[in-house]
Amino acid sequence: MNQIKCASILLSVGLLISSPQLLAKAQEETEIKGPVTPSQAGVVPENIDSATPGLMPIKPLKDIPENVLAILDALPEKKSEFIKSGKSNVVLKSDILFDLLSSASSTEAEEYIDTIMSIHDQVEFKKGRDIESIELNKASPDFNSWRLKRPQSMNPEREAGPISLGRYLGGGRSGIPTFANAPVALTPEDLIAGKVDVAILGAPLDMGSGWRDAIHGPRAMRMLRRGTGGHDVSTLINPSSVLNIVDYGNVAIDQLSTERSVQEVRSMVREIAETGAVPIIIGGDHSLEYPNVAAMADVYGKGKVAVVHFDAHLDTGRGRVHLLSHGQPIYRLMKEAHVRPEDYIQVGLRAHYSKSYYEWEKEIGMKYHTMAEVERRGWDAVMERVIKEATESTEYLYVSFDVDVLDPAFQPGTGTPVSGGLTMREAIPIIRRLCAETKLVGFDIVELAPALDSTYVSTLNANSLMFACMTGIAMHKKGITEKGYISELSSEHGQDDYYGDKK
Amino acid sequence: MSVKTYLPNTSVSLIAVSMTAIWLSACANNLDNSVSSNVKLPPTDNVKLQLLNEDELAFLRDPKRLRWFNLTEEKVFNQLAQRDEHGVKQYVADMMATINAASFQDGQDSTSNIKNGILEPLSNTADSTSIPLNVDAQGYNKSKIIQPAIFDKYKRTPGPINLQRYVNEQDGIPTFAGAPVAIRTEDLVAGQVEVAFVGVPLALGSGWRDSQHAPTVLRGMYGLGGYDIAGGVDPTLILSIADFGNIATSYLSTELNIEHIKEQVSAMVEAGTIPFIVGGDHSIMYPTVAAMSDSYGKTAFSVVQLDAHYNGTRGLDHYYSDAQSVSRLLEDQIIEPANLIQVGLRGPSQDKEALEWLRETGVKYHTMVEVEEKGWDVIQNNTIAQAKGAESTFVSFDMSVLDPAYAPGAGRPIPGGISILQARSLVRRLCAETKVIGFELLDVAPYLDTSYKTALNANYIMHACLTGIAMRKQGITGSNHLDPLALTP
Repeated sequence: MNQIKCASILLSVGLLISSPQLLAKAQEETEIKGPVTPSQAGVVPENIDSATPGLMPIKPLKDIPENVLAILDALPEKKSEFIKSGKSNVVLKSDILFDLLSSASSTEAEEYIDTIMSIHDQVEFKKGRDIESIELNKASPDFNSWRLKRPQSMNPEREAGPISLGRYLGGGRSGIPTFANAPVALTPEDLIAGKVDVAILGAPLDMGSGWRDAIHGPRAMRMLRRGTGGHDVSTLINPSSVLNIVDYGNVAIDQLSTERSVQEVRSMVREIAETGAVPIIIGGDHSLEYPNVAAMADVYGKGKVAVVHFDAHLDTGRGRVHLLSHGQPIYRLMKEAHVRPEDYIQVGLRAHYSKSYYEWEKEIGMKYHTMAEVERRGWDAVMERVIKEATESTEYLYVSFDVDVLDPAFQPGTGTPVSGGLTMREAIPIIRRLCAETKLVGFDIVELAPALDSTYVSTLNANSLMFACMTGIAMHKKGITEKGYISELSSEHGQDDYYGDKK
Repeated sequence: MSVKTYLPNTSVSLIAVSMTAIWLSACANNLDNSVSSNVKLPPTDNVKLQLLNEDELAFLRDPKRLRWFNLTEEKVFNQLAQRDEHGVKQYVADMMATINAASFQDGQDSTSNIKNGILEPLSNTADSTSIPLNVDAQGYNKSKIIQPAIFDKYKRTPGPINLQRYVNEQDGIPTFAGAPVAIRTEDLVAGQVEVAFVGVPLALGSGWRDSQHAPTVLRGMYGLGGYDIAGGVDPTLILSIADFGNIATSYLSTELNIEHIKEQVSAMVEAGTIPFIVGGDHSIMYPTVAAMSDSYGKTAFSVVQLDAHYNGTRGLDHYYSDAQSVSRLLEDQIIEPANLIQVGLRGPSQDKEALEWLRETGVKYHTMVEVEEKGWDVIQNNTIAQAKGAESTFVSFDMSVLDPAYAPGAGRPIPGGISILQARSLVRRLCAETKVIGFELLDVAPYLDTSYKTALNANYIMHACLTGIAMRKQGITGSNHLDPLALTP
């Protein structure tokens, strides 16, 4: 009671001085406590399914109106108990049910209940009646063809190492489009022989729920080299000269099944990481976050890698018929204890998720930073906080960048755009800094859907973000890990002491 | 093209035009019989085959298996020339091992999906013969359950609901052909609806995937209503039409949609309508045609498929996809091959193997080559005559049959297609001259066309069929009837 009263006072004060900090507290909100004890690495968090549809306890109906209660109590016990148990909610929301029952005769009421119970029976999974898995054609002569590798012995003999596709001494573009105009590597031996720091892998999985075309993300980024070469102005670092970068080709995808594809993606990403190179995975839809990060856990240990998830969406969907989709990778990663909830840091959230999603994230200990936080605290403060959390969480960091975290002005070419997102000027520094100031072990850019943008803008921005991260990795390699490093030379002409801080 | 071969019986017919061919024939006699009496290689290369066993030699003689690696005998020759006998052995053995690994391997599905004591259900899915689903999901079937009328908050008498406020409404709530909305089959029955549109927003096709947006985009585009100058009728006036909304789809698996689409289309037929199905990718053809077969009988109707693609791929790992709707329909004996007529075939997947299969199974097909050779009128007449081989007709129209000039927004476009004029003429005639029991328009990918062109043409295709059905209702079923008023006397 006190709290509510307090809140309303704050509300009026807040309105008077129009302070956003205070306004945030104005709404009545249930206080959710984070986890009491931190999760253990490699152990599935105890409350991971406290809000998973189908696994969480069904809540009995609350606030049943008197007249409805009377109607229910007049029914056979089995029927009234069924309704009161809350099971009917999946068939008919309780407010509509109460409305219908309020104006129903007793015969009509029983008909309602019977219909609800019969529909409920059809809705819930029933063994024997409903399929529990999708059968594949085992007899197909091409059952495994989609992911069979071409034997290297079919190629002319060559020493292991990245294959340069350029013809001219003066460098320049070879004509063959590769990520960042990098040479090509086909095997882990190539990565090892070439002492490769960064291997860029295309993963054209195209099973998103919105507009699809993520299949063409890798192709578009390869074809538009613009944005991936030369020196970064903020640091005067040229990632291509500091780092050994390769294009590792594409990973095989079964375009009819996310579930089948992710096993192959996981093994390919693992293969890269095992050589010590940083995999940069170019999607593809955001389901990929699951195999990508699971591969990190395979190599660096469960619970040893923190993840910064840039996205307009929470991607914590769970309890759906398909075990994985681009709305569910985070749940699956935590459910299998690859990442501790505390080590999950989300940035840029703003899609229309309900309260219960945030309540659950808070309960299990995830760290979320929505656009509401940006609105309230300003981008610089949020960025510093994210970098602090990312550096303090674990030894290793993985960054998953869904391009829809950007505002559609910067990124129309994405499948599930949401207005009110980050600008490129906000995104570039945070990516560069995360990749420089932490021990980055993997990075992905997902959900680029070129068909939705008839201009080059979406692809240029995706390339520029990859460049920002590679700049950071190059800085890290050169030992430049000071917070927010910016080049003296490029950030200031230095002919005078205009800013009054000349050394 | 190639005159090189490993096989003596074909080498006899060689015209020794190339040096290599002469070289090959000349060295044939020098072959070591213990290696193979069939393989012909230059004497210098002969020794290179000495380590190969019979199986490996057989592999080199098998164009089918070579094609699997995009190889021909000619290409293999070049490869052998670059290797010593050990290299050759490795080359051949590796290819054979690869091709052997293509099929399901005994025991490949026995790897555990428990890792470090934790269930990771997707960790072995690529090795497994099935894709696991989450049976714990609350409301497992809820997306496919029809809400009973009894749950309506506000009750109403069954029948199509007109959403237009004005007598002469220009725009407003977008529905197919501006038609009233039918929510349940009871509405179709009560309204004695003759043609019911339904959207199937499914985009799991093998090309650009945007067909899930086609129903919405076509609802928002004009062209489906009003007078048709060639037919001389206004089908939206003559016919009772309704928009039956969309059929729910699972966007992650074709397989999960088959049964539900079939049920819903069957229910539309049972309600007395001619369903106009707006896809969705071409995998939808399987359940729609299956619904027709269930409702009318397996041999009661012809299927006229206007499509650049034959969609008859066989032996794939997945049972259902756009590329195999036809092979599934035939393998599952849902229709007779002779009742299927394909028009507009072209493009690389319509290869010799495909055409031979169509011919062997008895499917009737008219490629674009035939259109070029014989002219559209002949093809039209033949198609209609063939369609008349059964009592009624189902039309499966894939947007790719049109040339990309007319339909850039097709998921699997292939140049060299038919024109909108040709398409409208055939569709109108099919729907007037035969008894059409269903029509589907598939694989429109709206985002590929920043203009209105594809959407407008798609609606005009469906309007052509509506026109035909209206003409037929008026008793106009003569061959290629054109309204006299539209022609100079």
